[in-house]
Amino acid sequence: MTTYDNSYSRFVAWTKVILPIVALGILSTLFLFSRNIDPTLSIPYAKVDVEGLAREQRIGAPNYAGVTEDGSAISIIAKSARPDPDNTETITATDLTTTIEDATGGRIDIASDNGVIDTGQQIVTLQGGVRIETSTGYVINTSGLTAALNETRAQTDGTVTATGPLGTLEAGQMLLERQNGAKGAHLLVFKGGVKLVYDPKG
Amino acid sequence: QGTQVAFGGLKHDSTQPVEVSSDMLQINQEDGSAVFSGNVVVGQGTMRLSADRVVVEYSTGDGPRKISKMHATGNVVLVNGAEAAEAADAVYSIDSGNIVMTGNVILTQGQSALSSNKMVVDLNTGQATLEGRVKSILQTGGN
Repeated sequence: MTTYDNSYSRFVAWTKVILPIVALGILSTLFLFSRNIDPTLSIPYAKVDVEGLAREQRIGAPNYAGVTEDGSAISIIAKSARPDPDNTETITATDLTTTIEDATGGRIDIASDNGVIDTGQQIVTLQGGVRIETSTGYVINTSGLTAALNETRAQTDGTVTATGPLGTLEAGQMLLERQNGAKGAHLLVFKGGVKLVYDPKG
Repeated sequence: QGTQVAFGGLKHDSTQPVEVSSDMLQINQEDGSAVFSGNVVVGQGTMRLSADRVVVEYSTGDGPRKISKMHATGNVVLVNGAEAAEAADAVYSIDSGNIVMTGNVILTQGQSALSSNKMVVDLNTGQATLEGRVKSILQTGGN
């Protein structure tokens, strides 16, 4: 190594040796201390049961519409529906909204978490917290409801609580019927003991 | 000409909530009329009106639909405090707080009984007015 007489040249000669070594050291940390990145974790997978999707037929946002013999229109809209593998006439659907409109403009909307539409027997069974709203201002809550598709007839499985122009009301069961035959108006019939509270000030 | 009779205490307040209990209730979806049937009991404060069938009539006009009248038919019994009255049918109008009972009305107060073919009870003032062929039966036996 040639000797230099002044300190500056010596300093430069030393740095020409030390700096590359330091650079090599930093470069080596890239491989020695790096976190091991697991490629499978970094990509977020959708938690959908792929085999299930492949195996079953599934309809997204299906809707069913029909007219009963006595002239009221029934339409059912759901988030998803799946035909029953062992019984071709039944379809299980989730997050349904059933609407029954009669000729005179009266309208009943029934929302439920899940339901089974049986086109063989022409009935739809709704479960999981059923909420019924009528055009006359009644809001009725019940646990389950069975409605016919070919005629205007529906009945709840269990007890019913309702609020509306008449006040708040509890009953053992509720039915939806036609008044005296096909041409009559829709009738909401509460049965099995009715208790109603009406507040004149309210 | 009507006979004035006291009926029930004065503390009746017609703005109290009205409770109705019955076996069955039918609500017509077209005009919203409601019919209670099967031993119906209408209660408000100390007043109890029981009948076989009660039809609810709404007040016309705008604003929220309020109940204006309850028309009870079929062995109607009205009880308020110690007095009781029976009739064929009765119309209870909630806002004015008076009940019009017609059809061989029998009003019993303790020992004595009065009968006529029409009676108007004003719950707020506690006054009952009997009209037409008023007959009264007084118990004379010593007690």
